[in-house]
Amino acid sequence: MLFPTVEFAIFFPVVLALSWALMPRPTVWKPFVVSVSYLFYASANWKFCFLISAVIVGNQLAANAIHRTDSENRKKWVLRAAVGLDLLVLGTFKYYAFFVTDIDRVLGSVSLSLPLPLLTIALPVGISFFTFQAISYVVDVKRELITPSPVLDLAIYLSFFPHLVAGPIVRAREFLPQLETPRDPKDIPAGAAMWLIAIGLIKKVAIADFLAREVVDPVFAVPGAYSGADVVFATYAYAAQIYCDFSGYTDMAIGLALLMGFVFPNNFDRPYRAASFREFWRRWHITLSRFLRDFLYIPFGGSRHGKVKTVRNLMATMLLGGLWHGAAWTFVIWGGIHGAAQAVEHLLRGKVQLPRWFAWLLTFHIVCAAWVLFRSGDLGVAGDVFAQMVEPGAVTLVTVPAAILVLLVIGLQLIPPKPMDALQLRVQQWSPAALGATLFVVILLVGATIPDQGVPPFIYFQF
Amino acid sequence: MADDPPRTLIDLTKARRFDVRQLLKAIGLVCLLLFVTSGPGIREAGEQMDPGLDRTLVLAVGEPAGALGDVIPLHEVADEATAWLSTDEDLGEGGGFTAAAQENQQGGVPPVTPDAFDPTALGEPARPLPLKKLLVTGDSLAMPLDAELARRLADRDVEVVRDPHIGTGISKDAIGLVDWAKLSTKQVKDEQPDAVVMFIGANEGFPIPGPDGKDVECCGTDWAALYATRVRTMMETYRRDGAARVYWLTVMTPRDGERAKIARAVDAGIFAAAAPYRAQVRVLDMVPIFTPGFRYRASMEVDGEDTIVRESDGIHLNDRGAELAADTVMAAIDRDFAK
Repeated sequence: MLFPTVEFAIFFPVVLALSWALMPRPTVWKPFVVSVSYLFYASANWKFCFLISAVIVGNQLAANAIHRTDSENRKKWVLRAAVGLDLLVLGTFKYYAFFVTDIDRVLGSVSLSLPLPLLTIALPVGISFFTFQAISYVVDVKRELITPSPVLDLAIYLSFFPHLVAGPIVRAREFLPQLETPRDPKDIPAGAAMWLIAIGLIKKVAIADFLAREVVDPVFAVPGAYSGADVVFATYAYAAQIYCDFSGYTDMAIGLALLMGFVFPNNFDRPYRAASFREFWRRWHITLSRFLRDFLYIPFGGSRHGKVKTVRNLMATMLLGGLWHGAAWTFVIWGGIHGAAQAVEHLLRGKVQLPRWFAWLLTFHIVCAAWVLFRSGDLGVAGDVFAQMVEPGAVTLVTVPAAILVLLVIGLQLIPPKPMDALQLRVQQWSPAALGATLFVVILLVGATIPDQGVPPFIYFQF
Repeated sequence: MADDPPRTLIDLTKARRFDVRQLLKAIGLVCLLLFVTSGPGIREAGEQMDPGLDRTLVLAVGEPAGALGDVIPLHEVADEATAWLSTDEDLGEGGGFTAAAQENQQGGVPPVTPDAFDPTALGEPARPLPLKKLLVTGDSLAMPLDAELARRLADRDVEVVRDPHIGTGISKDAIGLVDWAKLSTKQVKDEQPDAVVMFIGANEGFPIPGPDGKDVECCGTDWAALYATRVRTMMETYRRDGAARVYWLTVMTPRDGERAKIARAVDAGIFAAAAPYRAQVRVLDMVPIFTPGFRYRASMEVDGEDTIVRESDGIHLNDRGAELAADTVMAAIDRDFAK
């Protein structure tokens, strides 16, 4: 069930009303929220409800075991076992085929082979997100930042439908305390929430899907059929598309959670404004970035042991971050580019000072070039796209609406955010009737742009 | 462009707070306005969904909303006001499967024409034609086959028009989705292709109106006959009175048993439909390649290695599978057209 669909438009208002009606009685409200979240998840594939249930139970047992024991050694082993099991679940469903086919091919070249059967395993929607959140829960318990929650609270945390399928990756210590007391029914930032939902819809349906349909998908399917100018434009268009697709989803997720009384962390902050890769990762997929920092980069040693080890840690973190996105070499290399860029920045820090405009230009274009790998189905397609960028030929895809949208998406991130902030604040002050009518108009206009084939899934659903 | 620090998405400290009653008033207004202005659209969305809880839920709202819309057609006002934003193709009035079915009712034994024979099968020499434009179409099954064919033909000066319509089906027009009779006519009119590759069948199995106007359910011989008639209508369009060649791929057996039943009926329909047009229409059977004996398999031996060829949904081909399907299509194209 995608957010911008008829079924969700029917599902959500009913759930919202019942949720607030039941909120004063947590013994009823909590099972209700778990049930509707499972219902939401079951609409994709009901069989995976068992998987998420197993993750909930497994991590709850581990958290309790960690909390109850005084032995630091035992705590460590239980934590390792829990994280290992979470990663095993993730690895089995997400990376099995990748390892069996690609690694087997590599081993086959030296006359070895993996004695594993070839299987096509359906990827459970949101598995990368809920397993990471489960890891964050047991780690936070181990670090004594939180105590184990009741299992129902953990079930809500991991399965809460606004963030179940594509984040943001909310930390256990950010979410679980919000379940300790009922949300205040007189303190709902509904204007802010509806603003986010409207903006998210526009970003996803009117901009991202349009650019995908008209520019990006045709070029990345058959790069050789398009001129260099078209391919370069498609690269910029993909930068705009993926930002609008993912941040549009996040805006809607945050807005929906706000309407239900919960606050999620921010996930994007004008990423194409970044003038360095370090800054880019403080602005792009912020919740993943801090997860990678706290659970990989810092445990690896961070920047505490000299330049060589810092570079190693940056590379390892970003390569694994790339692999987290998908079981393909294109994602690994994409992560490698980001890791290498951050390593170079680290090595040159204090030695080379580029003008900010030039640093921005460089960062933006390397980010865009790396997106080519992220978007390409395999390395062959990525190679074709890069090779085609210098080919002359007729320009067929650079239409006025597409060019305006790309310029708008990237340009709006470069100017100070004050005008948009002011507009957003003004909208928030409107009466409920004015807000409702405005959201209706936005839905109507955005809905009119949806083709017969419906709304394609969010890009990050596949991760 | 200053190096400013990241900020919060929305400043909740300044956000106006609502109470639940105000919130539900705002959301209720959105729902009410959508109910009265989009009723038939909600009903149609429900009718297009596969059976299940989602469909029941949407139809529970869509049917009364649609009935209201039938009486008070506010949706027409909304549709007209937002028509300029639509990105869908206008297939025009008239024609379509309904009109074709009426024409077919005229009766009489249709004569067998020379088009029913592939000249090469009778020992005549092949006369390769020049291939300038290839249309690759169908539903989601046609992807990524369309891209694969376009890649292979990129250096042969062949224009490849890729026009898959995801979520559509030849038996699905009755519930408001694309009418393939109209769409195929428009495709041929717009593109005038020398050859058409058609790969469709992932969304079939919907009831088709019979000669008496009553819906015939999938997947018996009655349904297969109606489906075949529709396929034949499209083949007639695509072959452009003999000027074009049509490569129609059958549907390899899906993993799900219910879908497998539908696929068998679809494939039987395709073979029956092509009989009068063997001179121009080639049925490329995917079943022996991917699912011999109608038994689903996710992987198969390719170049001596066990290789996954299906997507995890158990329906579609993955990239490697599409390459194998493209081998078959290219071999057929190379028999008919000069390289």
